[in-house]
Order: sequence, then C-alpha cells, then structure tokens
Amino acid sequence: MQSRTSVPGEAAQLAALTRFLQDFCVTAELPSAAALPFEIALEEIFMNVVMHGSPAGRLARVDVSLALCDDDLTMAVVDDGPAFDPLSLPAPDVNAPLDARRVGGLGVYFVRQMMDAVSYTREGPRNQLRMSKRVIRAKAAPAGTKPG
Amino acid sequence: MNLRIEKIANVTLIVAQGRLDFSAAASFQAQIEQALAGAGGAGTAVVIDCEGLEYVSSAGLRVFLLAARNAQRAGLNFSVCALQNAVREVFELSGFSRVMAVHPDRAAALTAAAQKPA
Repeated sequence: MQSRTSVPGEAAQLAALTRFLQDFCVTAELPSAAALPFEIALEEIFMNVVMHGSPAGRLARVDVSLALCDDDLTMAVVDDGPAFDPLSLPAPDVNAPLDARRVGGLGVYFVRQMMDAVSYTREGPRNQLRMSKRVIRAKAAPAGTKPG
Repeated sequence: MNLRIEKIANVTLIVAQGRLDFSAAASFQAQIEQALAGAGGAGTAVVIDCEGLEYVSSAGLRVFLLAARNAQRAGLNFSVCALQNAVREVFELSGFSRVMAVHPDRAAALTAAAQKPA
C-alpha cells in the first residue's frame, strides 16, 4: 500500500499533511498509537523545511510519500530547498537544568529516537529524508474478506 | 485545541485538550501566559492537566518549557499531570519530565500543590 502527496513548504500546509498521514493510517487499519510517531516525525521534518528550506522569494516544494510493506511503514519527505541534512544537527542536551534548556534540535532528536531507521540523501536538487518503523496492525482481516 | 482554566483554592488548573502542534502553539502560549499572570503570585500553584491532550510536538513542548521557566521566576509551584502515553513519551525523551513535576493524575497534582507551597 502506497500513497503520495505534494504541498508548498508553508506552515499552513501542516494540517493537510497530517490529514494525509492519518487517512493513510486509517485505510491501512493501523492503530492510532502506531500513527503518532509518524505524525510527530512529519511535523518536525516538514516544519524544518518551512523554517529553513525556502530561499528568499521562492517556496520549497515538499513531497511526502508513505509505503506500508509487511509490518514496516516508511515515510519519505523530499524537498527542493537548499541542501541540508537534519541528521547532522547535534543532539540536544536532554539533561540540562530548566534554566539552560533549549528546544532547538529536539524535533530531529524525536525522529531519531522514535523511528527504527532514518536516512538522509541529497539527490540532485532535492533533500530526501526516509524514516521507517515497524508498526503493529490493529487486527488482520480474515483471509478473503474485505474490511467494512 | 481547547484550553479551560479553573481555580481550585490557591491552584490555577489549566485543562488542555486536543492537539498541541506548531499551528496551535502560539495561541496555547498566549493563554498560558495569561493564566500564569492571573495565578495569584508567589506561593500559589499552576497545574496543567493534560488528560485530554492527544499530541505534543517540539513546538508544543517549547510552550511547556517557557511556562515552567516563567512560573519558576514568579515563584509559582508549577506541575503537569495525567499525560497520555504519546505525550509522556515526548516528555520523557526530551528529559522534560526530569525538570518539571509530572503527576499521574489531577488528584495527585492538587494534593502535591496543597502540600508543597513554592
């Protein structure tokens, strides 16, 4: 099962992307607990592109694709902004005291921690971030029947 | 997302519901700041009840961080309670559950607020 969408890299598109992901997970009969890490990863990576990925005067284009293969859900976020590897960001200090706390870098840290595998490649003019994680299906439909 | 503010004795209880993503963070922050300002000053307590909070991203977490810091500076006793699993995971991964008081439910948060003035 696969699905793909494409949006301009602006904050107002976050709701549409989240809905795209949620719809996919409902159709694939994934429990909401399985969808949540992907919702967080999608927001964190997309908002990084929104904040840093659009050179002046031009909005980046962001393609999101989802593929469910066996029990692994893979999400790829591809943008045509300037080359940037979010995985190169230093890990945040998650032990700092309250006063010294910063939120920068936490989003990518969540992605690394929540996903089973994350990889970045620069392909021509595009950044590609692929994330995958094993998901537990709600329940398998009996063979030969269709849900609903 | 929705936010409701209740006063219980010297405790300002902020009941948060829904999704706290980037889009909701600015309004959430403004309302929290207003609630902190009206909390009653040093020695009073502020509890954010997260039982109905389904989702928090790093943008949402930033609001909790600012709230905890502002509360500390104002001498308020700040805590959060009743985190759903998905939200608890974000608090634990980020280490936020080590820098702010997290209670299992509202009753525990209110008891702690009554026993431990800031």
